[in-house]
Amino acid sequence: MRRESTLVLVALGAVMIALPLFVTNHFALDILIRILLFSFIGSAWNLMGGYAKQLSLGHVAFFGLGAYTSTIMQIDFGISPWIGMFVGGGTGALASLPIGWLCFRLRGPYFTIATIATAQVLMLIFLKFRDLAWGAEGTTIPNLGHAPLMMQFETKPPYYYIVLGLLAVSLAVTAWIERSRVGYYLVAIGEDEDAAEAVGVDAPRIKRNIYMMSAFLTALAGTFYTQYIYFIDPGTAFNFSISIEAALVSIVGGIGTLWGPVIGTLLLETTSALLQSWLSNSGGVQLTVYSLILMAVILWRPTGIMGFLIESYGRHVRKPERA
Amino acid sequence: MTDVLVIKDLNKRFGGLRAVQDVSFNVRENETLALIGPNGAGKTTAFNLIMGFYRPDTGSVSAFGQEIVGLRPHAVCALGLARTFQVAKPFGSMTVLANVMTGAFLRHRSAEVAREKARDVIDFVGLSAKETSAARDLTTIDQRRLEMARALATEPKLLLLDEVMAGLNASEVDQAVALIGKLSSRGLTIVIVEHLMRAIMAVAKHIVVLDHGQKIAEGNPKEIVANPEVIRAYLGSGYTHVPKGAS
Repeated sequence: MRRESTLVLVALGAVMIALPLFVTNHFALDILIRILLFSFIGSAWNLMGGYAKQLSLGHVAFFGLGAYTSTIMQIDFGISPWIGMFVGGGTGALASLPIGWLCFRLRGPYFTIATIATAQVLMLIFLKFRDLAWGAEGTTIPNLGHAPLMMQFETKPPYYYIVLGLLAVSLAVTAWIERSRVGYYLVAIGEDEDAAEAVGVDAPRIKRNIYMMSAFLTALAGTFYTQYIYFIDPGTAFNFSISIEAALVSIVGGIGTLWGPVIGTLLLETTSALLQSWLSNSGGVQLTVYSLILMAVILWRPTGIMGFLIESYGRHVRKPERA
Repeated sequence: MTDVLVIKDLNKRFGGLRAVQDVSFNVRENETLALIGPNGAGKTTAFNLIMGFYRPDTGSVSAFGQEIVGLRPHAVCALGLARTFQVAKPFGSMTVLANVMTGAFLRHRSAEVAREKARDVIDFVGLSAKETSAARDLTTIDQRRLEMARALATEPKLLLLDEVMAGLNASEVDQAVALIGKLSSRGLTIVIVEHLMRAIMAVAKHIVVLDHGQKIAEGNPKEIVANPEVIRAYLGSGYTHVPKGAS
């Protein structure tokens, strides 16, 4: 079993690496990059939102901080976004401390609302304080043409490989956490914080650490996205829909599972892209259909696609062993 | 014998209700002490005060010679105190094994070792056949077994059991009594909150009675069942249980 899954993983990796050689259409590559990006953001969110069930709808706070940190460093100080990306990650991780300090004293829906509020506050700060970072009109990233050292490329495949690498890192981190003590502690906290404390789990510390990790990874995505679209303003960098999407792809795919966010993004992004190209002339129809699909998944498969797969695997494949 | 748990003048008020008032008692090493009393007497509150879930208004709790008031529950657990909850709190989506491993991780960082230790405890409480079941699918008695296994996996020296026998049928009570006896013979100190006098008489040599948050009696089972105050407040005048082998 272990050898089989290693083989599948290697094959999958090979396909993903070879994919840009066959997919040369710009539109298709763009969709692939979006899928990888949101899989990455989703899996960063999933570490805390999925495993520990701390439902954050404010993860865009870290996305935006990452984006602004690297952009300010690049434009004002000429520092490469490759460095800026990790400084941005650090900024996100640091920011998670006071945000967590504020939000973690609340539980359930109140926690969720507090995370939304903090992200909105950050957006307002970047909107109002023009001296800090260009205010509402934002700025474009100076186009240097082909400049790999400044994370700028004239073709799409390099972006594809960067975000593929980011996703691979977050999946590896998740896989490691899932098997280790921290993984058990996170799920325990998500199930019942008091019971977890009673068996020696320092719940606040574990939550703080995983929030930092999740924030760090999400901030990396912010830098990448800004470099990819060559533009930043508070409305894009702190767009509430990024917070929603991070949670949504994980919930649809299966929260607290390694592959859930990837599968969820694959389903949602493809559906949304297809609907957009089929129904784009009919006003809001594509959004309506998209929402209906979402509602269907959440009503019928509250454990997500992964939950469904695991259930049917258990029913059809492992039944004799259990009976 | 030394006192492993010393509770002194413990007080806890919830608004106008004095849930625990000036309660003091000691638990000696390797004894099984029962905490009894009518509903709302403050037994579970006392547990929560000891384990750090509530902070007492005044008073002190010391375990193994160390003051533990002010410590958070996980730190109290790390010192060697473990508890079960009156309403079982399994990690529902996790398997029985994963539940118990979560407890075992306190003393063993490696997943392999934790898994091994967890299996030992699961075997001890008799849950081996259900190892891969999700905790939420267990029956009442199995959930109680799981609570106990998870607590035991933290390798405590002192175990606090909160109504582990509520809702069990007669033969299940016998199993639970046997299990507690086995733990005690392994050298574990046990504090048990229980309503079932039959079970208490079978396991406890030392009883503390609470009523309205106050300690109204303390002694061995024989003294307790003969105590007029206890009969009035809790047992009722019809109570005529003669403890078997409780002398």
